Parts: sequence; C-alpha cells; structure tokens
Amino acid sequence: MSTNNMSDPRRPNKVLRYKPPPSEGNPALDDPTPDYMNLLGMIFSMCGLMLKLKWCAWVAVYCSFISFANSRSSEDTKQMMSSFMLSISAVVMSYLQNPQPMTPPW
Amino acid sequence: MKVLHTFCIVLLVFGSVSEAKFDDFEDEEDIVEYDDNDFAEFEDVMEDSVTESPQRVITTEDDEDETTVELEGPDENQEGDFEDVDTQEGDTESEPYDDEEFEGYEDKPDTSSSKNKDPITIVDVPAHLQNSWESYYLEILMVTGLLAYIMNYIIGKNKNSRLAQAWFNTHRELLESNFTLVGDDGTNKEASSTGKLNQENEHIYNLWCSGRVCCEGMLIQLRFLKRQDLLNVLARMMRPVSDQVQIKVTMNDEDMDTYVFAVGTRKALVRLQKEMQDLSEFCSDKPKSGAKYGLPDSLAILSEMGEVTDGMMDTKMVHFLTHYADKIESVHFSDQFSGPKIMQEEGQPLKLPDTKRTLLFTFNVPGSGNTYPKDMEALLPLMNMVIYSIDKAKKFRLNREGKQKADKNRARVEENFLKLTHVQRQEAAQSRREEKKRAEKERIMNEEDPEKQRRLEEAALRREQKKLEKKQMKMKQIKVKAM
Repeated sequence: MSTNNMSDPRRPNKVLRYKPPPSEGNPALDDPTPDYMNLLGMIFSMCGLMLKLKWCAWVAVYCSFISFANSRSSEDTKQMMSSFMLSISAVVMSYLQNPQPMTPPW
Repeated sequence: MKVLHTFCIVLLVFGSVSEAKFDDFEDEEDIVEYDDNDFAEFEDVMEDSVTESPQRVITTEDDEDETTVELEGPDENQEGDFEDVDTQEGDTESEPYDDEEFEGYEDKPDTSSSKNKDPITIVDVPAHLQNSWESYYLEILMVTGLLAYIMNYIIGKNKNSRLAQAWFNTHRELLESNFTLVGDDGTNKEASSTGKLNQENEHIYNLWCSGRVCCEGMLIQLRFLKRQDLLNVLARMMRPVSDQVQIKVTMNDEDMDTYVFAVGTRKALVRLQKEMQDLSEFCSDKPKSGAKYGLPDSLAILSEMGEVTDGMMDTKMVHFLTHYADKIESVHFSDQFSGPKIMQEEGQPLKLPDTKRTLLFTFNVPGSGNTYPKDMEALLPLMNMVIYSIDKAKKFRLNREGKQKADKNRARVEENFLKLTHVQRQEAAQSRREEKKRAEKERIMNEEDPEKQRRLEEAALRREQKKLEKKQMKMKQIKVKAM
C-alpha cells in the first residue's frame, strides 16, 4: 500500500534494468554439491570401468543424477550430459564383460 | 531210452547253469530269495554288484555333460550315463550273468560308494544362464531407486513451481502498485515488465522490481527447499528447514542516512555478524534483547548506536515485528553493505569493497518445509513491512550527534583498513614503479635511431635527478619541522 494515497510512489523515469549479480565464484561458494557430485560420478565411473566393479558404475549413475538435480542455471549442460553418458557407459560395459548379477557384500 | 537220455542232458545243462549261479550265490545271504524268473537274476545281481570291488570303475564327474568312465571292459559302456544304466535295468533278455554286461550299471552304485572317497561337487548353474529375473534383484533395486529419484525430481520441481506462482499471484497487486517495472530478466532491449518470475534453478526464483521513489530497485529471491533432490528431501526429514524469501532493496544515496542496524532471531544475527563485512565492523557488540522496545524474546537487535535503534523501533515497526516474529529471520539496514566477507589468499584486499545503501529482509515461509500454496498469503503483510521500511529509511535522519558518531566510525574503519594494508600497498606501489622504469628502458633499447636513443636516455636521467632532489627537499623539511 502506498504511504501517500494522493501520489503514486511509482516513478517510471527512475527505472533501472536488472543486472544479474556478478558471479565471481559465488555460485561455487554457495553450494558446491553439483560440482562434487560431478567429480564423484566421474571417479566412480572410471573405477567401474577399469576395475570392473558393478556397484561403482551404479553409484556413478546416481551421482550424475544428483548432480543434475542440484545444478545451477549457469551450469554447462554439456558437462552434465557427458558425466551422465560416462556413467551409463560404465554400467553397460560392466554388464557386457560380466553378465552375472551383482552380489551383495553380505 | 532216448527220452530218458534227452531228459538227462537237459537236466545236466540246467544243473550246470544253476550251479554256476549258485557259485555266485555261495557267499550270499540272499540265496533264499533266488527266484526262477527272468528278472530275478538281475535283481540279485544288482545288489551283489554293489558289494563287489569298486576299483574296477573309476568315474570322474566334473560336469553333467560328460561322465567319463574308465573301464577295463567293452565299448558298450563307454558313456556310462545313468540313462544307459536305466535302460539296462529294463532289459528283458534273460542272459546269463556276465560281468561285462553290468559294468556300466555298476557306475551308479559304485559312484555312490565312492562318494565317501571323492566328494562330488555339484556346481550351480551360473546365475546368468538361469532363466530367472530373481537373481538380478540388486539391479532391479537400483533401477527402482533411480525411478524413485526421477519421480521425486518431477514432483519436487512442480511443487516449487506452484509455490512460486502462488507467491507471485498473491503479491502481484501490491508490487504493481508500488513499482513501475515488475519482473525483468535484463535481456530485453526495452525496460518493460515481464510480469513473471525468473527461474534461476529448480528451487530459486528471482524477481526484479524497479521504478519507485527512494529506491533504485528491489530484488526478491524465492529460495525454496531442494524438493527436486531426493537426498535433500531425506536429509530434511531429519532436520526441518523452511523455505525463505530474501528481499534486497537498493536505496538511492540521498534517500538513506548513514547507519548500520539489524534485527532478527538471535541465531541469525550471530551468523550475520560473523559473515557480513559491515556488521562485523560497525556492530561489534553482541546481539541485544529487544524486550525494551516490546519485541518478543525470540528477536534480538544489532545496532551501530542506540539512537538508530530508538529511531527504527517506532510503533508500527514494533507491531510488524511482534506479530510476524515467527516468519522473520533477519532485517538488516546498512549504508555500508558490501556483501559477505571476502576471503582472499594474498591476505587483505588492497581496496575497500564497494558499498551500497541496502535494506535486506529474510523471511521464513510458514510450514517449515511442508508448505502449501495458500501459505504464501501469510507473507503479504511482510511485504507491507518492506514497503513501510523503505519509506521509513528515507524519512529517518540522524541528529547531529548521531551523524558525528557515524562519521567517526566510518573514518576509524577506513583507517584500520589502510593500516592493515599499508605494507601491501607499499609493495604494490613499488612494483608499479619498477614496471614503469622497465618499460622506459625497453622503449629506449628498442629505439633504432641512436640520436633519439641518446635524447631519451638524457630525459630519463634528468627525471631521476629531479626525483632525487625532491626527496632530499622533503627530508630537509621534515628535519626542520622536527627541530
């Protein structure tokens, strides 16, 4: 509600355009989750591929999903897609090399 | 005679045959069971052959496909499969007992006795060859988990979107009556209201409003919970967190006096005091209780000086703060706002950060995570408070004393900063001077014309001389003054 009913508080001549806040590393400071998850996803998928560990590959898929869900708008979609593809390929390769189902550790 | 003769021969033949049989049965207990029918021989023979020496048959049973049987016997029992043995059982030929005939037969009973010596390892069929999906239960679990995550992502995203829209619908009228420009993403050529929120993320929505007296603009940020991330949802089940609405009003320089003031929950103020540059420098005391002004116990005050608090806490403001205390996280007015403290690796930054006159509000959406679109209506009075604060900030002016104190404080802060960075600034200046000299020398060296070179060198020398003289003059002056 305006403080003065007589005059309109709006001033069309004082309009300022929106300037997106300069992001000088602030996004990374605010919430590092997507970056960590991306990195973890890549590490796990490499482990899964090299060491032929199925559970690593599955964890990598989960990491890339979590990274995608937490991603910021300024995040590069190519990065997301590449980590996602890598994790899927890790899963597929693990199963092609060894079609046996995963055995639980217990 | 002849008949008698043939009968004798037959008898003899029978006798010899039966004698042979009896020979076998001599040591046996089951002679009584001997029956004169076709299968009788076989039955007894089967039992007999169990106890016979098993060394004759060696069976290696590695896999079901081939059971290699090494026998001394004929080829007819090479395979030694149980099936063959079975068929032999059903053999209706009543032949005299022959060792070789039953050799394959003996496999089965012999191997059962050889169990004690060579344990048979029955190997499972490899799981992937089994035609059952049950063995892949872990994989199915994983895929189910992924599907659950995707479902949660979609549901969470939609919920956040609905909450944002509900907030905007509730507040649109108030905003449009106060600001010319409601909604701008900065990309259009003309400054026209987009009339909708900017979606920065799945859980963050921005709105820029501008075109009002007193302020340059107002940025509203709806920071919802990460409902689209299942991990976050699970974490929130342990520790409930609220959605937040953050409002940042940038004031015109002439429309706000110089003071730093904050009010909010004690926890929030302690955190802000640590994080924010201006609060840590100007409000060094611990957050004080606002009971003196009629505020509830949950709220505390951080202020540069008492006068500011007295001026800010008028009846209307107190009314707002008391009635909506549960939704207020922090309210921060500052003319020296420069954001959170910047941590730099090289020590102190060389220059004081830029400051802006700002009013900051952080509100918690009621519901503590379980928010519904209709809860957004509860935030409308808080927006009224924001508008009121803007006008109040314009009206409120410090008196002379207060202004002096404020100016002193600011000078003190600047001095401290300069002292801290003195050494760094000196070094920076020194390095800049060296750079200049080097650049000069480079230029002189690169000059091809020897005449020009000489002239430039002389000019540089003269400049150096002048500088030295100036320095000497200064030293003399200082000495005179000291005396």
